[in-house]
Amino acid sequence: MFARLVKESFSRNARRKVLTAAALVVGMAVATATLTIALEVGDRLAHEFRSFGANLLVTPQADTLPVEIGGVDYRAVNEGAYLNEADLGKLKTIFWRHNIEGFTPFLDVPAFVPQAGGAATLVGTWYEHDVPVPDGTLFKTGLSITHPWWKIDGRWFHDGAEECVVGAAFAAQHPEIKIGSTLNVAAGEHSTAVRPLAVAGIVSTGDAEDNSILVPLSIAQAISGHAGQIRSLFVSALTKPADALAERGEMAQNDKNIQLTPTEYDKWFCSPYISSISFQIKTVLPGTEVHAIRRVAETEGRVLSRVSTLLWIVTLAALIAAALAVAATSATTVIERRSEIGVMKALGASNVMVTGLFLIEQLMLAIFGGAIGFAFGAGLARILGTSVFGAPATPQFILVPVVLGLAAIVALVGSLIPLRRAAHLRPALILRGQ
Amino acid sequence: MFWRLVFQLLRGSRARLTVAILALVSGAAVISGLLNLDFGVEYQLTQQFRTLGANIVIAPRAAPSLPESGPSNPALMNEAELSQVQANIPPRTPYSPFTYVVARAEGNPVVAVGAWLDQLQALNPTWKMEGNWVASRDDSAACLIGRNASRQLHLATGSALRVQYLNQTAECRVSGILDAGAADDNQVFMNLRALQSLAGLGGKVSLVQLSVNGGPAAAATAASQLTNALPEVEVRPIREVTDAEGHLLGRIRLLIVSMIVLILILTALCVLATMAALAMERRADVGLMKALGGSIGRIAGIFIAEVGVLGALGGIIGAALGAGLSYWMGLRVFEAAIPPRWEVFPITVLTMTVVAMAGALPLRALGAVKPASILRGE
Repeated sequence: MFARLVKESFSRNARRKVLTAAALVVGMAVATATLTIALEVGDRLAHEFRSFGANLLVTPQADTLPVEIGGVDYRAVNEGAYLNEADLGKLKTIFWRHNIEGFTPFLDVPAFVPQAGGAATLVGTWYEHDVPVPDGTLFKTGLSITHPWWKIDGRWFHDGAEECVVGAAFAAQHPEIKIGSTLNVAAGEHSTAVRPLAVAGIVSTGDAEDNSILVPLSIAQAISGHAGQIRSLFVSALTKPADALAERGEMAQNDKNIQLTPTEYDKWFCSPYISSISFQIKTVLPGTEVHAIRRVAETEGRVLSRVSTLLWIVTLAALIAAALAVAATSATTVIERRSEIGVMKALGASNVMVTGLFLIEQLMLAIFGGAIGFAFGAGLARILGTSVFGAPATPQFILVPVVLGLAAIVALVGSLIPLRRAAHLRPALILRGQ
Repeated sequence: MFWRLVFQLLRGSRARLTVAILALVSGAAVISGLLNLDFGVEYQLTQQFRTLGANIVIAPRAAPSLPESGPSNPALMNEAELSQVQANIPPRTPYSPFTYVVARAEGNPVVAVGAWLDQLQALNPTWKMEGNWVASRDDSAACLIGRNASRQLHLATGSALRVQYLNQTAECRVSGILDAGAADDNQVFMNLRALQSLAGLGGKVSLVQLSVNGGPAAAATAASQLTNALPEVEVRPIREVTDAEGHLLGRIRLLIVSMIVLILILTALCVLATMAALAMERRADVGLMKALGGSIGRIAGIFIAEVGVLGALGGIIGAALGAGLSYWMGLRVFEAAIPPRWEVFPITVLTMTVVAMAGALPLRALGAVKPASILRGE
């Protein structure tokens, strides 16, 4: 009898259900979309932050103080320690290897270039280079990943080719050097080993490299006689904003008095904090110092944590708006059907029976509307993800029970209050329309 | 007569109206809160990005080359050329001239930097200081030293540092050890005047760093103003900072705006549904008025005016509440209040009025119905 009543109500009065169902679909779609985006935004923004470039700098353990002005090292070439290029693949073997987005080695070499009127600085580096990783694969990395803001006019040098790229300030100083001309580069004025390098492009970095000649790393190594060696390494890693544990972990590295408990240590080691990643890099590259480029790392942490808080507040607002919308329409449909309630009560239905009937109806609508809303919301999140981050947001199926539960709760709560009021009225009054 | 009817209607059904007002007020609060937040968020975020440090550099036109070649180095600017900087940047913008030389300290070659030491903290908010910052740019006895340099030179805060350049020597007291997480950790920071007289570079500056507030657009404006005012030198925004900041700000803004638009639509729908329900309850009144000879246009007008008054009222209260909401959100997220914007107020009130009136439109459909059948309750 009860089931038949519910069935009849849906088949005879389908039009009345449409409003509630539509509100449920729209409300739950918005809830799903905002929750999906909020769950993913941390990872996505961390990725976007890599446009600030490298956040870790690896240098050899200092035996002498680097004498560096504007990125150019004024130490003699044979002074100071070097890193081994062959070790770099090990970076992709650390615990957080997948968070290493890229790395670029640098080797600054003083050189003699007759066209530039004598002394010039060569910067050996990679643009796109395949690094052999110990597990047998190749990892493509270089300036294209760690220094995305460098703008090139022309094209970059090919890895290992006899080519070079000149800095914008350098090119402005020597107007006769153009794309396509050839520079004769030697280690010193009296060196006989002269290498002709074709100028492939002009790069504008907004930094000290604007005054130098950028060459493939292997050429800088050959000219300086430092085969297989590099001076510094910039690493771009995806990290998690620092919190209290990250700070304790970092302090424990420098200060023997601070000890992490084994659980704390495991948690610290297994979180992609900038301090734990730099610790892991130091482990695979012994004899190095790994510095967080604090300017970048700290700004990233601050902005990330604030934007995610902000987004959770906005999501909360979306959830409240969705709940209000659904509750309001549920209440409306119940009020509209007061005469129906009157008839039922006049025919002897109990309050429990009437309330139960309406609640079952609302529940079925909620599950139906919530499911469709979830599908729409996942689509909406895809569109939002594509337009904001250039890649669609993946649907989070963990949200299905959350959204369905939310739909059920708001639909029930929204109809419960008017139902109670209707139940207290005398049927005769309702039927007379008062 | 028209307005008397409207007010009688409003007075007559208080319980119903409370629900409608509640929906309108909460809707308006959400709309005005989020709009305020959206206007304020860009400013707040650009504030956060200032921890990136300087975003504009003024450098000599020619390439900076080794300053060891002596006082006649061509790659330095005269301070006189920079006298127009202060006049062309927003007030309270942190900036400082820098002069770099390679000097010797305790027998080691080291980069000695002359700067306005009081500006360093504002220029580089992420630097950590062990000891004290230098409070005055005229205090030539104090200097700051980078973390690595302090380790290499075995200096602690309070100890005396002797810096040697060619045959000149200057001495200062280490006021603090700074941890920059950058090349600055290897350097020694001295009073600008002290360094200039040590190196015989009186009035000469290698570069000027500025940290202009207000995001990439403000930095670009300041840079172009400075370029016009200082024709002899090169002014360039630090692209690493401004480009990436602009890129990220755009993404975050777009994200927040699209979520806010979704919420606004939802809120409008919610209010619309509530107002439609309210209007449909007035069917009996419509029937009565028609039976007494009112034209449907006039009757619908009365009801639309009724909900319009409601909408405006709810909008005003809600907009005020929403301003408080965004104030609180600003404190919560950015530790700085987001001040209410006056534009938000009329936008919110207008939106609520229009939405509420749109909710009453279904009443027009009753024009086709005969009054008798409405009164009979069909």
